[in-house]
Amino acid sequence: MIRAEGVTKVFGKNAGSAIPLLEQGKTKDEIQAETGHIVGVKDANFELEPGEVFCIMGLSGSGKSTLIRCVNRLIDPTAGRIFFKDRENGEREITAMNDAELRELRKHDMSMVFQHFALFPHRTVLANTIYGLEIQHRNAEESQQVGRKVLDMVGLGGWEDAYPHELSGGMQQRVGLARALATEAKVLLMDEPFSALDPLIKVNMQRELTRIQKELDRTILFITHDLDEAMRIGNHIAIMDAGEVVQIGNPEDILVNPKTEYVANFVEHADPTGVLTAGTIVLPFDDTQFERVAENGELVYYVRRSHPEGFRFGIDRKRRLQAVVRPGHHESVEIAPLVQIAEHAAEIARTGRRDDIALRCDAQTVLRTVLKGRSCSTVPTVVTDADGRLRGIIDEPELIHGILEKRGHREHAEATAADEKPSAGGAG
Amino acid sequence: MSELLDFLRLLFTDPFGLFDIPMREWVSDAVGWIVSNFRDFFRSHVSPPVRGVMETFQWALSSVPPLIFLALLYIIAWRAASWRVAVFAVIAFALIGFMGVWDQMIVTLSLIATGVFFCILIGLPVGILCSRSDWFYAVVRPILDIMQTTPPFVYLIPAVMLFSIGNVPGLVATIIFAMPPMIRMTNLGIRQVDNDYIEAAIAFGSTPLQILTKVQIPLALPTIMAGINQTIMLSLSMVVIAAIIGAGGLGLEVYAGLERLNIGQAFVGGIAIVLLAMVLDRITQGLGEKGPASRAKD
Ligand SMILES: Nc1ncnc2c1ncn2[C@@H]1O[C@H](COP(=O)(O)OP(=O)(O)O)[C@@H](O)[C@H]1O
Ligand SMILES: [Mg+2]
Repeated sequence: MIRAEGVTKVFGKNAGSAIPLLEQGKTKDEIQAETGHIVGVKDANFELEPGEVFCIMGLSGSGKSTLIRCVNRLIDPTAGRIFFKDRENGEREITAMNDAELRELRKHDMSMVFQHFALFPHRTVLANTIYGLEIQHRNAEESQQVGRKVLDMVGLGGWEDAYPHELSGGMQQRVGLARALATEAKVLLMDEPFSALDPLIKVNMQRELTRIQKELDRTILFITHDLDEAMRIGNHIAIMDAGEVVQIGNPEDILVNPKTEYVANFVEHADPTGVLTAGTIVLPFDDTQFERVAENGELVYYVRRSHPEGFRFGIDRKRRLQAVVRPGHHESVEIAPLVQIAEHAAEIARTGRRDDIALRCDAQTVLRTVLKGRSCSTVPTVVTDADGRLRGIIDEPELIHGILEKRGHREHAEATAADEKPSAGGAG
Repeated sequence: MSELLDFLRLLFTDPFGLFDIPMREWVSDAVGWIVSNFRDFFRSHVSPPVRGVMETFQWALSSVPPLIFLALLYIIAWRAASWRVAVFAVIAFALIGFMGVWDQMIVTLSLIATGVFFCILIGLPVGILCSRSDWFYAVVRPILDIMQTTPPFVYLIPAVMLFSIGNVPGLVATIIFAMPPMIRMTNLGIRQVDNDYIEAAIAFGSTPLQILTKVQIPLALPTIMAGINQTIMLSLSMVVIAAIIGAGGLGLEVYAGLERLNIGQAFVGGIAIVLLAMVLDRITQGLGEKGPASRAKD
């Protein structure tokens, strides 16, 4: 949908003169000291797939706002090219557009939500919402209908005639979102839209954004300085450090394999439970970890090598899991899908954890859900694939390891950073 | 040798006597040249519209019966400012009427209205241009300084030479004198609009004209209103001075009173001017503060 190639922005009078210095590999600080030019973004490459939420994450001053403003040319990049592709018009180069073409792009294809809302104080909520339509000289009555509909969607029905200053921060940003949705642009650029909001409201807004994004099938470029936020809503995350994109990947990639110390620092403080999946933390079902202990007609039984007296797992000839047997028992416990049980977790936790039910999940289940299931049952969680074949198990060591160790940490990061020069690689 | 000594002595005792800039002659010549070449042009192309607007205002204002005038005044002041201001305005105007200078006040009001009309007509676009071009503003600024600081008496005389005596030269002087704040404040107001709003407007595909009319001017309106307020106040003071060259109204009342040593008459004119000034000031200030554009950012 959007593709950026080598996008670079240098602030200063004679910005072009800094490009050769950048190519020589000089850093942002060196260039600033030598020439007084400020490098906002350096050689950024990324690609947005249609319908995804792509997050750009980084500390304040790392160039996120500059980069997103290059995409709709509120800032002209000093070097590099940006392309926009859609079904009607094919691929067009944003960086080659003239003023009139840019206006068309901004009217119909890309809208924007701002960190400090930037609602027009002299316009009502409804008039703010339909600003983009008014600019396009659309029929006033139809515009108002569209405006009311979008306001309903963001939960602001009934506030049409209020003025922005009468609204709370969260509500103002809902108006900001409504204004961006009203033009039906396929791409939404959001520059730290929730950073100015209280934490609780923030989580609500993230949830609603995800809902609306799915419902309306928009592609979103989302900026944030909060890795948890990026991981919660992003399909892909690009991490920026001092103007450079240092890593691009899906949330779990970033969490498990931070490429630089900078990324590792973020990851260390992130909440992994919503990102890590069962497939990552599972103890894989193979000969190094499991030992065959018995055979009983159709089924072959295995135990964990580190726990020979523990649970036995019975699989059939097609490796499908058929039985989970407690130590000292002969009958299998009940095997139930984790998602079903996790829904009643609170209830079950009250009546006590069960020891007679094994929970089954697939590799995509996130750690948080596995933990929820674990609070219902003391039996190891079993991970199976679509055909019911055993992929592995998750017991306490895996859970603890998953929470504490699986996200990349510094030693690991330094090792990889040394042999793998961090560069703004292609899309993840 | 003695010549050199003479020169040195002069250099220390009277250095400015060595060389003379004939500024007086230059200005006299220039004014004379303008007057002789452009008087007909000014009288045929500038006077009629100014006089026309002035007479229209005067006709409109004087055809309203005083009681209805007071009622309208109340409503306007109440809507623009508050009921307190409205009550004050009505009392002030009633006082003016009871002191017997109602008609003179109407003339003065028409002169002010005409002056302000032209100040806005010219000042608003010039102010907008200033806000859009640093270069243009750099050129306009010293001109504004000259317009504002030159003592009015200095250009009252050339105005008379160009337009002869009466309301028109007074009005032209008024327009020149009262326009700078209009230009300055329009420029300032537009430049002050937070870049966040401009950025948002651009991000939705606005043209420069749309940004100007839908975002910049509405948001600059409180500042522009403050400019209009200053313009009105300056117009009032100039309209009074212009009585010297034959403008009518309250200024003439004061001027005539002083000339005849009729202190009472001059005083009544003076009080009426003060009351009029206060009412106009409160109403226009209220307008600036109350408009939707003055809503705080957060
Ligand atoms: N208009 C500008 N002129 C000069 N430097 C700028 C300008 N805008 C941003 N910068 C600099 O570019 C860098 C990146 O800024 P920005 O993109 O705003 O970062 P972020 O949004 O990640 O906080 C910073 O060092 C900032 O000081
Ligand atoms: Mg920013």
